[in-house]
Amino acid sequence: MPKSQYICPNEIRKSGWIKFTDIPVNQYSKTIEEEKANFSTEDFLRIYRDMTVIREFETMLNLIKTTNEYNGIQYNHPGPAHLSIGQEASVVGQAYILDKDDYIFGSHRSHGEILAKGLSAIEKLDDKELLEIMEKFFDGAILRVVEGKQKNKNDVKELAIDFLVYGTLAEIFARETGFHKGLGGSMHAFFTPFGIYPNNAIVGGSGDISVGAALYKKINKKKGIVIANIGDASMGCGPVWEGLCMATMDQYKQLWEGEYQGGLPYILNFFNNQYGMGGQTRGETMGYDMLARVGAGVNPEQMHAERIDGYNPLAVIDAMKRKKKILEEKRGPVLLDTITYRFTGHSPSDASSYRTKEEIEAWMEHDSLLTYRRELTKAGIAKDDKFEEILEATKELIAKVCKLAVDDNVSPRMNLVKNPNQIADLMFSNGRIEKMEDRECEVLMSKEENPRVQQISKKIRTGIQDGKPVPKNKVYQFRDAVFEALLDKFYTDPTLIAYGEENRDWGGAFAVYRGLTEALPYHRLFNSPISEGAIVGSAVGYGLCGGRVVVELMYCDFLGRAGDEIFNQLSKWQAMSAGVLKMPVVLRVSVGSKYGAQHSQDWTSLCAHIPGLKVVFPATPYDAKGLMNSALIGTDPVIFFESQRLYDIGEMFHLEGVPEGYYEVPIGEPDIKKQGKDLTILTVGATLYRALDAAKILEEKYGVSVEVIDARTIVPFNYDKVIQSVKKTGKILLSSDACERGSHLKDMAQTISEVAFDYLDAPPVVVGAKNWITPAYELEEYFFPQPDWIIDAVHEKIMPLKGHAAKNNFTVNEQLRINRLGV
Amino acid sequence: MATPVIMPRQGQSVESCIIAKWHKNKGDSVREGELLFSYETDKASFDEEAKASGVLLDVFFQEGDDVPCLTNVCVIGNPGESTAEFNPNAGAEAVAKPVEEKPAAVEAHAQEKSEEAFPVTAVEGDRIKISPRARNLAEKLSLDYRYAAASGPNGRIVEKDIITLKESGPVPTPAAKGEFAGQTMTGTGIGGRITTGDLNTVKVSDAAAMQPAQEAGPMFEEVKLTNIRKVIAKAMHHSISSTCQLTLNSSFDATDIMEFRKKLKDSKDRLGLENITLNDIILYAVSRTLMNHKDLNAHFLDDRMLYFRNVNLGVAVDTERGLMVPTVFNANHKSLNDIAREVKKLVKDCQSGNINPDLLKGGSFTVTNLGTLDIESFTPVLNPPQTAILGVNTIVQRAREVDGEIEFYPAMGLSLTFDHRALDGAPAARFLQELKHNLENFSVMLVK
Ligand SMILES: Cc1ncc(C[n+]2csc(CCOP(=O)(O)OP(=O)(O)O)c2C)c(N)n1
Ligand SMILES: [Mg+2]
Repeated sequence: MPKSQYICPNEIRKSGWIKFTDIPVNQYSKTIEEEKANFSTEDFLRIYRDMTVIREFETMLNLIKTTNEYNGIQYNHPGPAHLSIGQEASVVGQAYILDKDDYIFGSHRSHGEILAKGLSAIEKLDDKELLEIMEKFFDGAILRVVEGKQKNKNDVKELAIDFLVYGTLAEIFARETGFHKGLGGSMHAFFTPFGIYPNNAIVGGSGDISVGAALYKKINKKKGIVIANIGDASMGCGPVWEGLCMATMDQYKQLWEGEYQGGLPYILNFFNNQYGMGGQTRGETMGYDMLARVGAGVNPEQMHAERIDGYNPLAVIDAMKRKKKILEEKRGPVLLDTITYRFTGHSPSDASSYRTKEEIEAWMEHDSLLTYRRELTKAGIAKDDKFEEILEATKELIAKVCKLAVDDNVSPRMNLVKNPNQIADLMFSNGRIEKMEDRECEVLMSKEENPRVQQISKKIRTGIQDGKPVPKNKVYQFRDAVFEALLDKFYTDPTLIAYGEENRDWGGAFAVYRGLTEALPYHRLFNSPISEGAIVGSAVGYGLCGGRVVVELMYCDFLGRAGDEIFNQLSKWQAMSAGVLKMPVVLRVSVGSKYGAQHSQDWTSLCAHIPGLKVVFPATPYDAKGLMNSALIGTDPVIFFESQRLYDIGEMFHLEGVPEGYYEVPIGEPDIKKQGKDLTILTVGATLYRALDAAKILEEKYGVSVEVIDARTIVPFNYDKVIQSVKKTGKILLSSDACERGSHLKDMAQTISEVAFDYLDAPPVVVGAKNWITPAYELEEYFFPQPDWIIDAVHEKIMPLKGHAAKNNFTVNEQLRINRLGV
Repeated sequence: MATPVIMPRQGQSVESCIIAKWHKNKGDSVREGELLFSYETDKASFDEEAKASGVLLDVFFQEGDDVPCLTNVCVIGNPGESTAEFNPNAGAEAVAKPVEEKPAAVEAHAQEKSEEAFPVTAVEGDRIKISPRARNLAEKLSLDYRYAAASGPNGRIVEKDIITLKESGPVPTPAAKGEFAGQTMTGTGIGGRITTGDLNTVKVSDAAAMQPAQEAGPMFEEVKLTNIRKVIAKAMHHSISSTCQLTLNSSFDATDIMEFRKKLKDSKDRLGLENITLNDIILYAVSRTLMNHKDLNAHFLDDRMLYFRNVNLGVAVDTERGLMVPTVFNANHKSLNDIAREVKKLVKDCQSGNINPDLLKGGSFTVTNLGTLDIESFTPVLNPPQTAILGVNTIVQRAREVDGEIEFYPAMGLSLTFDHRALDGAPAARFLQELKHNLENFSVMLVK
């Protein structure tokens, strides 16, 4: 909502028409004769060769899946194999003009894309570069398997092809010598040194991640374009639409400045094989008739949408050349509807009950391997024996690689007996990188000139002065602490960007970012569409390309909208890449209150449940700044929860004040906020303050000395301090605003029970929110834990308090009753 | 190939055994069938022979060590062979920790604690509710937490209650006195944790552990108690401290049984019944008489009685290792000769230490005989939860007046100890009276 853009009522209310331009459908019509000007004989034949490599590779997998045998090699592969037999021309055509700096993202059906892009990169890289890549990757572990097994020992390209095909197959077969030590597998194989970025088993998963990669290229002025290759059915996925919206925002052309102005270097390409699994997209499950039509609804450029013939490699190459030029002219992004067809089933278990034999046979007559070869022969490019020779060589290649990949001696699996922590060690990279790149940070003013910085400098950096609370308008607040950490990083790490809803101008819905708009150019801080999925998904893409990014969900309740992006993408790619990718992404999530059932939920437990995420929830300005600094120097995804109850709170614990300079609070370390000896209370988030109120009453009225510990972090979590405290007090109550059922506190209570059993004088007791919808603000005290709940629970379950009359029902019977009812 | 030798399991209830003696040392050569080591359960001792020939390569436990059954004890093999892989003390710590055995006989008594002694709130069924922390503190302070007043939620004893108990001092009942003071306990829970079961079963202080650490004084010789002695000590003390036992004394005219026995002896060649002893005759009479006095052929379990349908007669046997009480099951259905033969075999097995541990339990009534040692009267100690035990004394000549004349007759003493919780004096006396009558008219009884 920039003020520079005037929304004129006269303009808006004017009558008129939206005009569309025609969208080309299979307009390519050149003959081989005509193309001879663009392709040498070798080029023509290499295209054919690349198609045969994919065909043979997929045929081999098909045989192994269906008969457990290929060319006398016996093997059982229980994992997935979504084959693309029939789709070869589309992928080879696309890869033909791509460089290694051009990135492709794919789907569950991407073996062909990997091979095509890899073969293309090998063609374009020189021997030295190739050797360096192979030598550096896992210290040459994959190279060691294939080297010395070539006909021509000096042919680096032959070696590189073996390397590519073997690394892919070993990955599919879950071998430690695969591109990602077998942790990715068929649907997630990739190889970044050749510009092959993560393929995704979640349909449409690449749709928004790839947008982040394009942002990375654009914002960090990197060479190359980004292509998302997804299926025709994925057009029905919300994240794909969200990614589309984010990729086509007007601001790139209208608000981003200087060399950053202009469209994203991005192609959203659909390999349109006419089907989902069995659902037919045209005529049954979608309404677009022809997918390319969708481009017309997205932006005035209609995304330069085009339907192209993916059964002719030359047609695809022709389109790619034209589209790449559009991107270079910053007129992107582009939408491509590349038609194709798979002869094999969705997967080898597919009985093809949704299509006729005639249909498949008709397409087989169009088989690009036959038609393209026929055309080349007809045009005198090569004779039959040349093609046979290529086919023969390909068969040898695939047989050789297959033999290596099934051999347990040369291609072992991870040994989790010998190295039981091998996967565990990959869950987090635990890096410390101050800046992801070393160059000037683009900012619009010095920190000192920043109006927010100046305003903060007048604030009192502690919440209590001379024994009295500092008034709200004078106190250095929680939001100031988050701002300071972020601002600092914007001046240190040139790759750092932040975006989300209402981040710019508005300054974030809760004024954390006030002052950033002035400090940062558009490309480093911008407003996104209301696309929570794409906000997080694109951050994943930005992060895995090597940039640092902070994105925001305005309310924790919107986390469901970004479910896949958080639970399957952000959390998993570090481990699924066997450590090849890093994920320096901070996701700020604001936990609401006052706004009822869909704006007040604490979903920290959901995040804690997902392996691969660090989850923090500071409750004080000091901890917020220190934890944000730690999150921003790390290389792991951090879900950074903030409570809307606390944005204006001052620092009540570090009374010397929140330091102006840089400091870190380690992720994973709880903090004792108040010492005590009779009872421990462990809290997560804003509940801390209610626990302190309870502690005060317990102490003054009942003589119970309470130790209050603030978890600060949920994952990872070092229990030492908590266990020590429990050893001292023998009793612990845990409280947070999360609904009690399935709350992570139950997990913590269980751990404490196991670890400190012999020291416990009572079972650990969890006081969470009710298992209801959050009611209106006026009724919140009946929903969220209150000091008197804590005291009543202590009285009922931990230590009867003399003279105490409980107001709330914390009896065992009540506990069983509400469980019985599921409320 | 090196062969490990395991600690065998003797009977279902045995979880571990103590190595009593090594007959071979590490490095000795052993032949198949040679004695390797002797070991004892709480009730009997056994010898382990080598089942392979070779060299005793390694020994994982020493004399006095308590070894869980089925654990590797040593390894026999060829010189130079590795034994590490058999070492139960290596690797997982859990294996190395000997599991403290729960003597079965004592386990059965666990239920017998008197509820009245405990604060009612803390008990649920026969479980005491106590926090792990409070239990640990009680153990550290050697306090019987059963005397703590529970102040925790739902009648749970918590740390504070143990502190209060300590400050007010434990209730000085006989049970509390010796039973818990200075006691060290070994847990049978995971990681050596003491479970409630341990506390309820382990009730007798370990005399050795009670000794203050000191230089070996010249005044006495310190000898560690054998396992059997410990168990006997525990059982005896448990008996005295947990029941209300008293003894009735009586005697009977033994003329008839002596004559009967003489007849058997004389019939030696014809009947082969010459080995029937007076004690066997008494056992027989007891087994028949008891059927009319079910209170004495019973187990008292605090809140209920178990009346036995048959008589499982415990027979106290003196052995080198100490007192053992094997059982003659269903004695009331067995002939005098059967009883005599069975008792003979049991005594022999006990004395040689080869008694099957499963035969050392299950008694419903016990007979103990000190008459052979010239005892005229004594107070046998109950074997709880049995409700009575009969002591048999020596025969003395006693005078009586018959038709104005003094005559002497052989009088054999009977001392019946019974648990007054289970029955009163009169029914106990009536049993004794009927037994006396049956023994004095034994030949008639035999015919019945
Ligand atoms: C989110 C999600 N929903 C469903 C699936 C199961 N699934 C796997 S592939 C597929 C069809 C995808 O069709 P399309 O996008 O056209 O790709 P194609 O398989 O035709 O290459 C489905 C439904 C999935 N993997 N992810
Ligand atoms: Mg499809």
